[in-house]
Parts: sequence; structure tokens; C-alpha cells
Amino acid sequence: MKKKRIFLIGIIILWIIIAVGVILSKQWTLSTGTRVLLETVPVDPRDLLRGDYVVLNYKIGTLDLTKINYKKQYYKPGEIIYVKLEPREKYWEAGEIREKKYIEQDGVYIKAKVKSFYEHNLRLDYGINSYFVPEGRGKDIETSMRSGSNNQVSVEVYIDRFGNAVLSKIYINDNEVKFN
Amino acid sequence: MQLYNAFLQLLILVLAASEHKGLSRIKGTLRLGGKIKMHYFSILLSLAFPLGIIYVIERLFFGRKKRFSRWLGKELPLWQDKNIISSEQADAILHFYGIKKGDLKKKMDMVKIVSLVGSVFVGLGIIFFIASNWQRVSSNLKTVILLGTTFITLYLGYFFSYEKEGWINLGKSLVLLTTLFWGASIALICQIYHIPSSENWYIMLLWAFPILPVAIFFENDYVYLLSSVLFIIWNFLYSYNNNLANYYYPLIIFGLLLPMAKSSIIGRRINILGLLASSMYCIYYKYEWLALIISIGLFLYYIIKKEEKFYLYSASISFVFWAFTYLNIRTKQPNFYFLVPLGVMFYLTYKDKLKESIVLCVGNLIIWINLTLYSFSQILNYKINTFDSVLLHSFIGLVLYSTGILSQNKEVEFAKVYKLLGFLITFVCVYFLSFKGIFQKLDQNLLYFYICLFLAVMAAILILGIYDFIKGYFKNKANRLELTAVMMVFIANLLFLFSAKTVVINTMLANILLISFAIISIALGVELQKPSIFNMGIAIFVLFIITRYIDITWELSEKSLFFIIGGLIMLIGGSFLEKQRRKIIQRMKSE
Repeated sequence: MKKKRIFLIGIIILWIIIAVGVILSKQWTLSTGTRVLLETVPVDPRDLLRGDYVVLNYKIGTLDLTKINYKKQYYKPGEIIYVKLEPREKYWEAGEIREKKYIEQDGVYIKAKVKSFYEHNLRLDYGINSYFVPEGRGKDIETSMRSGSNNQVSVEVYIDRFGNAVLSKIYINDNEVKFN
Repeated sequence: MQLYNAFLQLLILVLAASEHKGLSRIKGTLRLGGKIKMHYFSILLSLAFPLGIIYVIERLFFGRKKRFSRWLGKELPLWQDKNIISSEQADAILHFYGIKKGDLKKKMDMVKIVSLVGSVFVGLGIIFFIASNWQRVSSNLKTVILLGTTFITLYLGYFFSYEKEGWINLGKSLVLLTTLFWGASIALICQIYHIPSSENWYIMLLWAFPILPVAIFFENDYVYLLSSVLFIIWNFLYSYNNNLANYYYPLIIFGLLLPMAKSSIIGRRINILGLLASSMYCIYYKYEWLALIISIGLFLYYIIKKEEKFYLYSASISFVFWAFTYLNIRTKQPNFYFLVPLGVMFYLTYKDKLKESIVLCVGNLIIWINLTLYSFSQILNYKINTFDSVLLHSFIGLVLYSTGILSQNKEVEFAKVYKLLGFLITFVCVYFLSFKGIFQKLDQNLLYFYICLFLAVMAAILILGIYDFIKGYFKNKANRLELTAVMMVFIANLLFLFSAKTVVINTMLANILLISFAIISIALGVELQKPSIFNMGIAIFVLFIITRYIDITWELSEKSLFFIIGGLIMLIGGSFLEKQRRKIIQRMKSE
């Protein structure tokens, strides 16, 4: 019986470590990261485990390589790269593409996974394309930001010095969307 | 086993629910109240699908024996009560069928099912609640409450399992519930930090791994199953979302889950099925090495743990998936490496006398021949037409059947399997050849021609071998009939091979061959007093008549006449035939 109790305690500790570990890693990004505003274009599907979410497509999601500095000739899908973000007027936009070893300490770089590379268009996944909302509320947001409407949708993202990004808030015409 | 089924069913329901938009909408309507009837259909669909899967699995794994032993378990005590048999005799009967007495007593405990289903329901409820992303309570508080509940449930599960006596079922159910809560906790944390759905594999991994120690230390098979299924889902999500071969999956299964399965057959087989699914997935995504690693892993497991033959069968299947993957990557490069595992499989099959495995091995060999010929045809720019392919298989069937005759009276009893396979393949081929269309517009593939020639020589050698090696073989009338059929196929095949363009004669020949099959089967059935062979002959005959009737009369303009006359012929002829058939079988049985 004593042995079982040790296992019980061991499992509880393991689970706490995992849960707290995941939370802390994200919380660390949120608290130490640089705050960045990004411009978006959204749609609305559903996640299998976590309910409704809004899919966000970013302006920096597709990069036109004729306008941006980059090093390599070819990027293969699944490859990890870093995109330098630079503040313009209100939103932040892509500056240049780097591989990890070249990241300078001063700039803000966001980590991205290459989705496809076709002609000079590079499509990227930053791991911030789902914004989870309370059930049934995704539709409300979506209708208020259809492509025909004049609403401007943006997103607040925190990026830590390793390039990890965490989604924080969503804005419609500079007003934060709240669900309470 | 029923318990496992109930659980599996619910688990699959969760998956179906999450992917199935219908069910999410049901939830929506349930919440609004009143409008439920709209979605009965989607509920039914979501239930029918997992049930179907479970039924297939059940039939595959437990099949007839389980039902029989269940029936026997009910009847035996009854017979004992009525003094038809003594208790020793009852034991002897059980022993004869290889059923242990303990198996019969493992009756389903209603309490066990109810508590298990209850815990699954509560777990699902919590997961759905998390999915609704309720915002009245702050995220921090939600996390703390959920994690707290998880740990309290874990403690209660432990308490009822080990500290308080007489509550083991409740304890086990609570432990299962905890692992569901854990999944909900992980999903909640990922929801709070907006981890995108393309990274759901991450949730699966964080769910499946930490519950493994629970399965081991608290000896909980349900948790083990849950973890196995989660790993399977993780494997596919990871592979799909990252466009990568998931080498970690076989590593985890071979290194952790299979050794942990111990005595749980269903646990072991679920993981093996997961591996096979993964290996099949490789064909489309061209993950050659992954398929090979899985195949070799399964094979090594068989070598180490001889008692589970399922390992060898699945290794056999997995190697074929690998061969397909190889072909998909390099079409113009025939895969001769495949002969190595195939040879080893044949060797082990003979050594361990496995009848099921020989079917797989022969099947693999035939598949390999086809793949290789396809590759060579691509290299040489030859077209493959149906006729070449059918004739080739007809020769293969011939060789198999002759091998079957030759391996009679040998130590390893594969003769029947070879004969059955050989007959089935040849029969299907001859049936194809009996249609006129197949011989027309021929442009023979030279490669197939030479391979057929080679097989013909092989068949000739085997047939000659029958004369030489089996003494007294021809004194038996049944054996003479058998060999007549073999010789007929041999000669007909040679004629087809060398004069493929004589359409009318060839078609007639194939039809004569088909009738001969029917006649010889009937005669053989009578001679050997075997109703099954006799019935097969009748079946071939009926098939022949129907096919030719449709063939000949289909082009007539009067379709109604075709059906009426056809139906009448079948009614009258059928009842006559059936009467005769019954008579003969009755006579066979009475003799």
C-alpha cells in the first residue's frame, strides 16, 4: 500500500510540473515579450477539443520575397525561419527573413514555419492563427469584420526573445473585444 | 470484453462528436432547449459509426469462439441439472474446446458498466464544458478549479482502489475519470493561450504521456486503452500537421506501450493496429523508412514473443505496405530487397506451422510479382492489359495447386491451404477468361509472356514431380480426377499463351474449362463423400449458366422477355437442381 501511495504522489507531482510548465512558458512570453500589433483577415470554424475559435490570417502570413531581404534560394515546407518585425505607423510589418543563428539581440523576431513556397510568395505559419472565443460568439465577431465591411481588425501579440509568439487580445476598430 | 467495447464506443463517440459538426450543433440546441428533434439523425449517425467499427473489431478478434463458449457456458449447467451429463463430463467438454472455467464466470457486472459509463459521461461533460469557453470565471480560477478536481479525483480513485475494501470498481472508474479530467485541463490551458488547432497533436501528447504512469502503477486497463488511442490520434495529427514522418510513434509503441500491455490482448492489438495504420499512411506520404522500421519492429517482436502470432501477421502486412511505399517513390526501380523479409516469413511460417501466415505469405509473393512486373513494364514501356494479368495469375494458381498436391503427406500440413488458394485464383481467372471481351484487341506484353512461360515450365516440373514422388497416387480415382483438372488448366493456359488472338476458340475453351470445373468438383465431391466440394461444383455450374445467359441475351432489345424467361428458367431449374442436390447429399450423409 505504501508503494502505491508513493506512486500517487509521484503522479500528482508530475502532472503539476507539466501543467505549470506549459502555463509558465506561455506566461513568460506574455510578461517578458515585446507587444506587437498585427493586421488580420478572419474566418470562423470550430476546433475539435476546445470549442469555437476565430481563424486569423495575417498580413505578414504571406511574404512577397521581391520586397523583402532574405538569404536562401529555397525554403522547404516545414522549415523553421525567423521574420524580423518592424513598427510602421500603427501595425508591425515584416522586415527581413533570417535563420536562427543570425538573429541579432536588438530586433524583434518572430518564429515561423514555412507552409509553402511558390514563385516568390512565401506562406508562413506563426502558431497564432486561432483565437478561442466563447461558444457561439465567433459568428458575431466574424460578421462584424467581413471583407466588405470597413471594420479594421487587429491583434495584440507578445513575442519573446526566442521568437515565440502568444496571442493576447483581439481588437475591432481599436476597441478590445471582450466576452463578459 | 463487453466492458472494453462500451468504453471504446464512448471514446470513439467523443472523436466523432468533435469532428462531426452535427453533434456540436446538437449540443447547441440542447442548451437552447426544445429544438432537439432536428438532430436525431446526426445522433444516430454518430452512434452507428463507432458501433460499426466495434462490431468489425469484435468479429475479427473474438469471432465465433466467444459466442460459442458463451452459449456453452449457459447450456452446460442446464445439462448437469437435468442429469444429461455429469460434472466430470462437463469439465471434459470444456477442456475439449479449450475453454477455461474461469472464462465462463467472467460475467458482466452491471455495477461495473454503470460506474464506468458514468465516469466517461462526467469526463465528456467536463470536456464539452471547457469547449464552451465560459467566461464568467477568470481563466486562472478555472485552471485551478479543474486541476484541483483532477487531483482530488485521482486521490479518491486511489483511496477506493487500495485503502478502502470492496470498492474496486468505483476506484477504477474514478482513476479513468481522472485521466479524462487531465485531458480537459490540458485542453483548457491550450485554449487560454490560444495554441492553434494545427497543434492539437501537442495536446494529445500532453494527454497521452502523463496518464501512462497511472495505467502502470494503478494497473488500470481502461487508462491504458485511452492512452493507446490518444497516441494513435497524436501520430496522425503530428504527421499531418507537420508534414513529417513520425518516427517517435513506433519508438513509443515498441519501447513502452507493447511491453506494458502484458496480458491484455486487446490492448496489444489496438497498438498493433495503430502501427499498421501508420505503416499504411506511409504509402501516400512516401515515408519509406518509417514503414520499414515498423515492419522490422513487428517482426522482431514476434521473434522475441512467440506466443502472439498476431505480430507475425501484422509484420507480413506491414512489409507489403513498405513495398507499395517503395514503388510509389521509385516506380522504375523493382524492389528486390522485399525478397529478404518474404523469404524469412516463409521460413518462419514453415518452422512454426502457421496456416494463417502461409496465406499472407503467398499473397505477399503474388503482390510482389505484380509490383515488380509493373516496374519492369514501366522501364520497358510495355503496356499491361487485363488478359496478360489474368493469364499470369491463372498460371500462378496452377503452380500453387500443384505445390499443394506435392506437399500432401508432408510433415507441415499446408497442402489444403495451397490447394484452396490455387483453386480460387485459377477459378477466378478462368471465369474472367470465359468472357469474350477479354481476348479482343490484344497487344501482348512480352514480359508477361516470358514470365508465364517460366511459370508453365515450373508447373510442368511440379506435375512431373507428382508422377515421380508420390507413389500410388494414381490408383485413387479422386486423385486422377484432380490431376485431370490440373492438366486441363495447364494445356488450356498454354494454348491461351501461344495463340492469344484466336478469340472465338479461346473463349470456347475457357467456357469448357469452367464446365469441367463444375463437373469435376461434383464428381470429386461424390467420390470423397464431401458435401462442400460437391456444393461448390453445383455453385460453379449455376454461376456459369447465369453468366452465359446474361451474356448472350443482354443485347436483345426486349429486356422484359430477358428477365421473365431468365427468372422462369432459374425458378424451375433451381428447384430441380436443389432437389437433386439434397438427394445426393442425403445419400452421402447416410452412407
